[in-house]
Amino acid sequence: MVDPVHHLIGLTPPITVALAFALPLLSLIVKSRRFAEVYGVSATAIAAILTAIAFYYVYLVKSPVVYTFGAWPPPVGIVYEVDKFNGLLGLVVGVVFLLVAVYSIEYLKHRSGIEWYYTLLIGMEAGMLGVLYTGDVFNLFVMLEVTSVTAYGLVAFYRSRKESIEAALKYAIVGSVATTIYFIALAIIYGSYATLNMAQIAFKTMSKVDYFFYLIGGDRLWITYTPMIAVGGAAALALALWAFSVKAAIFPNHFWLPDAHPAAPSPISAILSGLLVKVGVYAIARFLYTLFHAAQPEVLVDSALKYVVEATLYALIVLGALSALIAGILMVAQSDIKRLIAYSTIMHIGYIAMGLGLATKLGLEAAIYHTINHAVAKALLFLAAGAFIHVVGTRNIDELSGVGRLMPITTLTFIIAAFSLVGLPPFNGFVSKYLLYMAFIEKGWAPLTAIIVISSSFALIAYVKIIYGVWLKAPVKELKGIKDPSPIITIPLLILAFACVFLGIASPYILDKVITPSVVDLAYNPLNYVSEALKILTQALGG
Amino acid sequence: MDEVILRFLWIYTWFVLIATIGLGLYGIAVKPNMLKKIISLTILGDTANVFMIYVGYRAVYPIKPPVLWTMNPSKEVLENFASQITDPVPPALVITAIVINMAITILITFLAIQAYRLYGTLDSRKISKLRG
Repeated sequence: MVDPVHHLIGLTPPITVALAFALPLLSLIVKSRRFAEVYGVSATAIAAILTAIAFYYVYLVKSPVVYTFGAWPPPVGIVYEVDKFNGLLGLVVGVVFLLVAVYSIEYLKHRSGIEWYYTLLIGMEAGMLGVLYTGDVFNLFVMLEVTSVTAYGLVAFYRSRKESIEAALKYAIVGSVATTIYFIALAIIYGSYATLNMAQIAFKTMSKVDYFFYLIGGDRLWITYTPMIAVGGAAALALALWAFSVKAAIFPNHFWLPDAHPAAPSPISAILSGLLVKVGVYAIARFLYTLFHAAQPEVLVDSALKYVVEATLYALIVLGALSALIAGILMVAQSDIKRLIAYSTIMHIGYIAMGLGLATKLGLEAAIYHTINHAVAKALLFLAAGAFIHVVGTRNIDELSGVGRLMPITTLTFIIAAFSLVGLPPFNGFVSKYLLYMAFIEKGWAPLTAIIVISSSFALIAYVKIIYGVWLKAPVKELKGIKDPSPIITIPLLILAFACVFLGIASPYILDKVITPSVVDLAYNPLNYVSEALKILTQALGG
Repeated sequence: MDEVILRFLWIYTWFVLIATIGLGLYGIAVKPNMLKKIISLTILGDTANVFMIYVGYRAVYPIKPPVLWTMNPSKEVLENFASQITDPVPPALVITAIVINMAITILITFLAIQAYRLYGTLDSRKISKLRG
């Protein structure tokens, strides 16, 4: 008997997909703008509640949760496997999407086609939750495509603007090349490991025998290890991580991001920068740490694969450092407020990649905590910048001069987000950057902390330029009737600002209770991840 | 002799596939025309699909389709069956991927049409120049 909560957790992405595709049909019947808005907010609220249930369940009851679709057991059917790592990221996705859906009501009130906007928004949430929750590498591909297609559509939402169309075209071509490369990696994975189930791949990289296959009854052929499998595994790992590094915008695959993120409507920029790149980071972490055991390479059965994994980790550190430095330098030169924030995203993805490349417990904690902190703070920064754009009607930093005094709430939240991203205490970004410093020092690579310091100081210059202009400079044009936007915009801003402060002040507690268990689930407990799937298989076979 | 020819063809097709993947990537990276980029993208996607089909194929005779004719097969029947069939999983994956590729191609084509309406050209060099 399956626990009913498992159904709720496993069905979160399908329910969200159903909600997304019901909206265009319903809006044919109910031709009201208000209906689409209420529907969009309620659908994201339902998804937020479901992700909160999943989060609560995996942290306090049982982790991981394996949900089998149609009761087909793991290596045969698609399963969703939620552990503390993806449960946590799922909650962040659910909450940020709800706030963005509320914010969009006011931000897009003069635009037509709002029902299509919300369809794509909910569809993107479904895809992201699917990527996060899935325990099957092919389902990850499908969900990644769902996320990407909706993202291309939303970047082109202002379809009469030249820059949106150009950015969406560029983003779509680069993104679909990446997913096609991932599909080739899947072919190699299937050819080498003869499975698409993450738990089984994680088991086969550790062991010379295939216990899943043994249980099904392949008693003659269950010793499946050959060195060729490891070659295939290494090739697949390299191709898959390359594809994910495009999605995560790690240097040198970051070039699409500074065009695509500013061209979208501001709430979508918040999601693209805050969450969508994190989906790539999640996939990198899951592949490296759960499937290929990068934190404990000694458990890998093949020594050649061990070298490949370690080389990948070094590559992540180098590319992360380059992303951070290059984005930091380019950030200072921007005059468009949204483009500046987009470059900051590349910088922070660089930090996260460096944390992931360390492969120590502290480094992973820093990377995961920074993933969450950056998701919250970057969403807030884009939404606050969007509030300026919504009221003043320009994205040029010089033309925003002097509006800050007239919009105190927006400016306050903008400053909180900027300071959090630069890494000033007591905000959340400080804590995760501090952890990253400590992780580097613990590993004995203290000089690398200079990269974080240098790029953060570039970011500080860039943000201070905006804050100074917005708050102190004399206005360049008439500022009549400019005031804080309606509460529909300011309340999500205040909630996210509160989250920034809370994640900073309560960090000892959060690290202890939330982040560390998720790191353990991700990287240090592979047998737990595998045995839960095996248990389901044994039950299904009547054992 | 048949064996040699089969093996040659097998290796040759793998080469062709990898070369076609390279061709697709080249077209996307180098060709300035958006339409040619889209065509290269579909070439890349279709090659990836054939690649996947090849992973599930077997070059050793006898080759049979993965259809089991008995309702309650014995173990010997099953083992015999498993040693002769092509793998049914890759075609299932490819069908999904074809549908996804189609959706993406349609979306990108729409974007290209819209870009043509706005810019009056499909040349990606001119498109990025016009925006300034």
